[in-house]
Amino acid sequence: MYDHFETPEPDEAVKLALRRIEEATARGEGSDVDGLAFNEVVVNMGPQHPSTHGVLRLVVTLDGELVKDVIPVIGYLHRSKEKLAERRTYFQYIPIVDRTEYVASINCEWAYVMTVEKLAGMQVTRRAEFIRVITGELMRIASHLVAVGTFTADLSPLGTAMVFYMFREREIILDLMEELTGARMMFNYFRFGGVRYDLPDGWVERCRDFVKMFPAKLKEYEALVDDNAIFLQRTQGKGVITQQDVVDYGITGPNARASGVALDLRRSRPYSVYPELDFEVVTEQHGDVFDRYRVRMDEMRESLKIIEQCLDMLPDGPVQLGSLRAPYVITPPPGSAYVGQENPRGEYGTYIESDGSRYPYRLKFRDPCFCNLQLFPKLLSGNKIADAVAISGSIDLVLGGIDR
Amino acid sequence: MVDIIVGILRAILFVVIAYAVVFVAALVNILFERRALAFMQDRLGPNRTGWQGVLQSIADAFKMMGKEDFRPMLADPVLFTLAPVTVMIGAVAIQLVLPYTNGLMAIDLNVGVIFLVAITSFTTLSILMGGWASRNKYSLVGALRAAAQMISYEIPMILGLLIVAMIVGSLRVEAVVAFQAGYEWIVFYAPFTFLIFYIASIAELNRGPFDLPESESELVSGYGTEYSGMRFGMFFLNEYAGMTIMSMVAVTLFFGGWMGPFAGAIEFWGVDWIGIVWFLVKTYALVFALVWIRLSLPRLQVDQLMAFAWKVLIPLGLVNILVTAAVILWVPSWKWGLAVVGWVSFLAFVALLDPLLKRRLRKQRERQPVVSA
Repeated sequence: MYDHFETPEPDEAVKLALRRIEEATARGEGSDVDGLAFNEVVVNMGPQHPSTHGVLRLVVTLDGELVKDVIPVIGYLHRSKEKLAERRTYFQYIPIVDRTEYVASINCEWAYVMTVEKLAGMQVTRRAEFIRVITGELMRIASHLVAVGTFTADLSPLGTAMVFYMFREREIILDLMEELTGARMMFNYFRFGGVRYDLPDGWVERCRDFVKMFPAKLKEYEALVDDNAIFLQRTQGKGVITQQDVVDYGITGPNARASGVALDLRRSRPYSVYPELDFEVVTEQHGDVFDRYRVRMDEMRESLKIIEQCLDMLPDGPVQLGSLRAPYVITPPPGSAYVGQENPRGEYGTYIESDGSRYPYRLKFRDPCFCNLQLFPKLLSGNKIADAVAISGSIDLVLGGIDR
Repeated sequence: MVDIIVGILRAILFVVIAYAVVFVAALVNILFERRALAFMQDRLGPNRTGWQGVLQSIADAFKMMGKEDFRPMLADPVLFTLAPVTVMIGAVAIQLVLPYTNGLMAIDLNVGVIFLVAITSFTTLSILMGGWASRNKYSLVGALRAAAQMISYEIPMILGLLIVAMIVGSLRVEAVVAFQAGYEWIVFYAPFTFLIFYIASIAELNRGPFDLPESESELVSGYGTEYSGMRFGMFFLNEYAGMTIMSMVAVTLFFGGWMGPFAGAIEFWGVDWIGIVWFLVKTYALVFALVWIRLSLPRLQVDQLMAFAWKVLIPLGLVNILVTAAVILWVPSWKWGLAVVGWVSFLAFVALLDPLLKRRLRKQRERQPVVSA
């Protein structure tokens, strides 16, 4: 009846999934039920799927409700950001860094600006350093709010409420940032040796108000989900990342810390004024979905502590090098530099190779999400499909960073 | 001859009323849920179309009717078309044995309570049909989940209804309502039974926390993935009408149906009009509870859903039947006995389920190995 309809040719990822099923069956590992060769189904999750948070595509091999195999397919958001750098001056490239990992864009800017400063041997004014830390930590809170909100939304309509509650608070942060930088997400705020604008009048007070108000809101979120038996059942013991995995796959950030690896570049490879600040590196022990959620919640508290200290210690002085404004054209000496910065999702590294001209010879980002994504086939296989969604939510991927 | 014509007209009238109730209830519920969720989620919800957005559902309905009638190329043409058409049968037919008020009831079947259970499964049949015919893996998984869920939760529901029949001593729905005259609502005698029935009926409705057949985070939109336009609209309307219909059943069986203060004060054409008001008020109190529950609980997972039905609800339902039967048989003033048993078990269930579950989770957590290299 359907002979005259051609089924479209499956693409490489689907073919790979089908080939793996055949190989597993040939080895006798396929779920052979009553003479059926295999009863696995290859399902395309994404790039348009409600719970892949962006344009991630997962080719999932399902055996009933059980996930057998996962093949992540990326590249749907590729905008060749690294190549663009080679045709732009160092200064012109700053706004483009914002657009790589857009949820915590100021942290990416920071990583890039720090690398160029290291390459060119520039010093940052002290006031600017504190402003950088404050904005970076504010965006860390905003980013964790998005991460936790969307992760709980994968679990339930309750999460949908959480998203709205969390975006309500994120809105305050974005308003603060808008007042400071003129933009809500794509800031273009950091300059070599400083930042673009000084803090506006009354900004410190408004920031203090937020710091005072926010812990109560965090308690509210925890009251909503931490005590919920269904939530605990859905998250505890699911998707465990072992410390061996952390080492093997180069997992960084909250995902590594949830497995008990106290890896935080703000402490282990300190930059900016973090050595002067007092904060804890949050770690958990079990490495499962629940612990990754807990680490993010506690990190928001630590960020608040950092912001409060910075607001207290904020020195007077210029926010940019020299008397006028930041240098527009810089020509770093030939050489290369790598700086890793603690992004909300892990180590966001920028590597720049300079040939002494106005343009970078080569620029490369080490994106934490890209490394975390590699773990997906191992982490998701063997779980129920509903758990797989929860686990992928807890890893907190941003596709803009992966595809660049 | 006149009797036959009147009978036919009466039948047509009640089917029209039933369809009207389904459509109006769905349109009202969609708006009601959107506004209630918005209220709980700290946002406004639809408030632009008409006064406070009251026309929003109607606008949406017209929008859906205006959409292209699209069928995927490889879908089964007959079943794919049939599924949205038949999906309403359950919601309509179930109303034929429900008394909206005194004197407004299509037919007082002598097996009314059984009919209620039998006809609710019809929706699942349509869902299965639609999911199978769509030729989409998400739809199929969603449909099969719906079927598995229906089979599991039908049983505790029947166990709940059996107790109602045992207390009343009749399967006629009219008799169930009549038994509850003078505020002797069955829910006062058997609150635990009501709880089991209510949980099972939420699962029957495929609503949160049991909305696995269409859990949007995994299955896009489950069995309805390939449906669009008014075909999708039929599924959607049925789902939302189901909230009201199921609450009507619960009100009739447990909350005294149309009875309330001043019931019977305004009566013409042999119909008690105040009763309708009480019926609707009680129904919508339960509908609000449904919305509330949906917002406050995360979605269960498939195995947890099945475990809850087979390991918790069904054993408890069976024990409940035994105890109720024993009380009715051997306790002299059995109504008081039932009330004591019912409330004790109800409070025990409500007070113990959560702590016990959490204690088990805590122990699991302690046993869970700490990750190391």
